[in-house]
Amino acid sequence: MNPPTTKPMSYVGIAVAVGLAVLLPWFAPNQFYVHLATVGCINLMLVLGLAIIARAGQLSMGHGGFALVGGYVSALLSMKGWPPLLTLFIAAVVAAVIAAALGWIILRLRGVYFVLVAFAFSQIAVLLALDMSSITGGANGLVGVPPISIFGYVLRAKPQFYPFALVCALTTLLLTWLLYRSPLGTMMAATAENQRLTESSGIDTHRVQVIAFTVGSGIAGFAGALSTHYLRFISPDSYTFWESVSYLTMLVVGGRDGVLGPVVGVVVLTPLPELLRSTEGLQHIIYGAVLVLCLMFVPNGLASLIQTWRSRQRVATTGAARVAEEVP
Amino acid sequence: MDIILVQTVVNGLMVGMIYVLMAIGFTMVFGIMRIVNFAHGEFYMAGAFLFAILYGSNGLPFSISVLLAIGATALLGLLMERIVFRKFRGNELNGMIASVGVALILQNSALLMWGSSARTVPPVVSGVLSVGGIVFPWSRLVVIIGAIVAVVSLNLLIGHTRIGRAMRAVAQDAEIAQVQGIRVDVIFPVAFVLGVSLAGFAGVLMAPVLSVSPFIGLAPTLKAFVIVVIGGLGSVPGAVAGGLLIGLIESFAGTFVSASLSEILQFLVVIAVVLLRPQGLLGRKEREA
Repeated sequence: MNPPTTKPMSYVGIAVAVGLAVLLPWFAPNQFYVHLATVGCINLMLVLGLAIIARAGQLSMGHGGFALVGGYVSALLSMKGWPPLLTLFIAAVVAAVIAAALGWIILRLRGVYFVLVAFAFSQIAVLLALDMSSITGGANGLVGVPPISIFGYVLRAKPQFYPFALVCALTTLLLTWLLYRSPLGTMMAATAENQRLTESSGIDTHRVQVIAFTVGSGIAGFAGALSTHYLRFISPDSYTFWESVSYLTMLVVGGRDGVLGPVVGVVVLTPLPELLRSTEGLQHIIYGAVLVLCLMFVPNGLASLIQTWRSRQRVATTGAARVAEEVP
Repeated sequence: MDIILVQTVVNGLMVGMIYVLMAIGFTMVFGIMRIVNFAHGEFYMAGAFLFAILYGSNGLPFSISVLLAIGATALLGLLMERIVFRKFRGNELNGMIASVGVALILQNSALLMWGSSARTVPPVVSGVLSVGGIVFPWSRLVVIIGAIVAVVSLNLLIGHTRIGRAMRAVAQDAEIAQVQGIRVDVIFPVAFVLGVSLAGFAGVLMAPVLSVSPFIGLAPTLKAFVIVVIGGLGSVPGAVAGGLLIGLIESFAGTFVSASLSEILQFLVVIAVVLLRPQGLLGRKEREA
């Protein structure tokens, strides 16, 4: 699990990608593409959160539950008059605290049990949102969630919201990348690779996994809140089990290692539901089929294909040089 | 004893029996193939739908409808095992993710084929049986009797037949079972088909009691999860105990407090079990790798 060596070419690639993302509102044919890009930014944050949990060797099938909690926390507080810019962070903290408590208990279990309990948690979150109708509005949800405003500048329309979502997504991306390169990130990767061996070298793998789960779920809480202020609406249907599944799909299809995988997964899969909107059932069938086929044939995700191709090119060039030296 | 209390217990055991049926199939597939099947409820949905179409809409005789519905669910299970699950057995995480994909495909295929509107199936028998003031609706009693017959025959199959012994051996250690001459590649599909057929049968039994739609699979999947975590993943007696316990919790919370509290209570029971007895009430401790 070596971090891929960053060549100058990569920096150019990153710069071009970021440049394109920033300039999108100017060359997008219509507002719908800006909307899609905003949704992509929010999805990227959610998938990165999931990727951090996966980096420590766990999967969360309850990721949507934390987004839902974050969404409701931020919506309720901001509707009481708190500034949304602050409530976004409170939402992240609340989701993270719940994840820390839950994770501390259930992360002692082997992977599969953990997934089941996290899944059960997300169902409970949906049920609570439905049930506590005096606070959450029940099945009708909360309408008229205040927009985010930065120093009095209100992010009401799509072109105004997109830059903010992009900044949030890029910041998350950068922080995740830094986390992976930090000693903690190395411990996380080692835990995923071989928990017993890692433990025997004196690392508290339980703590490492709790931290990963807390951070990943906190990001989900932030992203859920962000989405709620963008759509100005949240309901128990906003983040169900199937939303958790779609983030998992993006992660698996893109790739579970590194930060490139989540980006690829989000870019490939965010437009899919929109393109297939007219055929509701078919859209989900394709999602399911993509998930299964990827697991069968590209288990390390599409990003691994890019990396294989790059390293093969490297081998090809250096290999050719060596052959040229040896063969007279 | 108070009559309401007895009635609540009876109701709980009746609901619990269907959960037992769901959880046993689920836990079997995990115990033998090491696959957490998120699509388990989708086979329940398929069984219910096929029965609703054959018996409810086309008016086929009851027994033929039941057999056809279960047969078709079993065939669907065999197909899925061949195409997908076979590739992931033993690989817990990827197998689980793949089963989520299968759940998506099955649920939405049902949506495309049969539409999203809910169907109702006429009751097989109507009326109630009243014993000393305790009421047993016949429609429910049919469900209970069917579930008990299924659980008992499964137990006989696992405990007293060659294939049952082979399945137990594979569940304990697939590699050693293979060395002993057990055809593991036969046992896996048999176990999978058996497991999802039980889910299909549960769907058939419940179709006249509930309304049938493509979306009814997720709730029983969640129930099966909760039950096997409480009872011990892979443990059949654990599934029975967990199923009845969850049925009782639901019945008591539903009678005395509120239905939604029951869900939260179940979750708390799960957390408590996980804290105090991580291997589940009747589960074996995982062997150290």
